[in-house]
Amino acid sequence: MIFLFGPLYSGKKEAAMKLLGCDASELAHRAVWDVQDLAAKSGDLPSLVEELARYDVVIATEVGSGVVPVDAEERAAREAAGRLSCLLARRADAVARVFCGIPIVLKGELP
Amino acid sequence: MMTLVVGGAASGKSEYAEGLVLASACERRIYIATMEPFDDECLRRIEKHRRMRAEKRFKTLECYTDLASVTVQPDSVVLLECMSNLCANEMYSPRGSGDWAAEVILQGVEHLKSQCGDLVVVSNEVFAGGSCYEEGTMAYLRQLAQINRMMAAIADNVCEVACGIPVYYKGREPVG
Repeated sequence: MIFLFGPLYSGKKEAAMKLLGCDASELAHRAVWDVQDLAAKSGDLPSLVEELARYDVVIATEVGSGVVPVDAEERAAREAAGRLSCLLARRADAVARVFCGIPIVLKGELP
Repeated sequence: MMTLVVGGAASGKSEYAEGLVLASACERRIYIATMEPFDDECLRRIEKHRRMRAEKRFKTLECYTDLASVTVQPDSVVLLECMSNLCANEMYSPRGSGDWAAEVILQGVEHLKSQCGDLVVVSNEVFAGGSCYEEGTMAYLRQLAQINRMMAAIADNVCEVACGIPVYYKGREPVG
């Protein structure tokens, strides 16, 4: 599994299509995105990671680098999203951060 | 040797920073805790970090303001966590230095750096989620950003932790 993360609209899905050599409709089967939104609702992050790891590419938007929210629920959601990303990065064969459409490899090698 | 570790919320920065302390040749491990226990969430967070340090033989020193008053031995490796709390304490606590927070904290960091063997400081990336906040928040962001830049200037190594993986912008991962 390849884990891609980066800021909002940084070109993560575009990069995934390039990596897999596929189009958008095939990407829908081989990749999963916006996984940061799944973290807060999941009571069991390690199981969620195993579930997500069945995809070729897992994509998360970075949400933890802004001002800490005043709202406790929002804070908890950001924490859960961050924790999920750490676990996904550990589980992944390769990790890249996508900046303006350019994947910067942080772990392993991209195909 | 001083290493600055910066990261966003739940980026794995604490765990990474602790790993650096464990890898240090200095065996006297000092943890400088900066979070004042205001409420249950703080207490839970403090407890979580305490568990992470359990069995790693850290001696914990609490320091909410006036970092320069902390003294440590020359053969110690110090983990200071987290600068975002210390900055807020200096700015808003009655015992703090208010508008002089950045200067006072940097003096504290320099004092600490001159005393100990190895120093690892953890700070928070909170600057990439928007640029328009009310003035009180902007003032805090300016102070913390200034502290981060000044610490980066005097540090031997500077990294950002993203998803548990360190990315070095200055120096490199210290070994031993």
